[in-house]
Amino acid sequence: MMELEALQEINSEVRALGAQIVALTPEIERYTRAVQKKLNLTFDILTDLHLKTAEQFRLVFVLPDYLRNLYKSFGTTLDRFQDETEYRLPMPARYLIDKEGIIRAAEVNADYTIRPEPSETLAFLRKLTT
Amino acid sequence: MTSLQSRLDEFKKSFEAGAPPYNATREAVETMHRATAELKASGLEKAALKVGDRAPGFSLLNQDQVKVDSAELLRRGPLIVTFFRGHW
Repeated sequence: MMELEALQEINSEVRALGAQIVALTPEIERYTRAVQKKLNLTFDILTDLHLKTAEQFRLVFVLPDYLRNLYKSFGTTLDRFQDETEYRLPMPARYLIDKEGIIRAAEVNADYTIRPEPSETLAFLRKLTT
Repeated sequence: MTSLQSRLDEFKKSFEAGAPPYNATREAVETMHRATAELKASGLEKAALKVGDRAPGFSLLNQDQVKVDSAELLRRGPLIVTFFRGHW
């Protein structure tokens, strides 16, 4: 969520460079709609239902039982949010993909509390487009 | 403008101190640390697609139930794709 807000802050510059941002989450539309509204995002959030795309990027992990139970106690019921009984998540990741479909920058971290700065992604994009 | 990482660090600090509205217990915080350490140790992040790989295409519904196709987006220009866990 905080990362989406930070990406929103660079979105006008991204658009000016002829590029676009999309955010993918395993959550169903009820939640993507709410997030988009709440954060006033001007880019799309896409429902990656059952993590099909995240799987192709090889980002998916299964939550161990003890973590699943903790999340449930917090009210984080992934089975409802994602419309499947398995408790799986994508590792947080940010990719820059060029027009030919090749990945030009990639940032994946198993620790979801560490994220790259949007300004770094913007710098990669500038290099790519100028 | 405050950097994203410093915002995240601040949130983490307050969450781990048990601040409301989460009121996380020490035990819960330790459980979360354990899970992150195990995922890190699994080496899974190294298996993820990286620079130079071809990005898989996708065709997915957006928040307004409109289908969005990555090939169509790429025709217009480069794409920044971010994966996030959810609204919680």
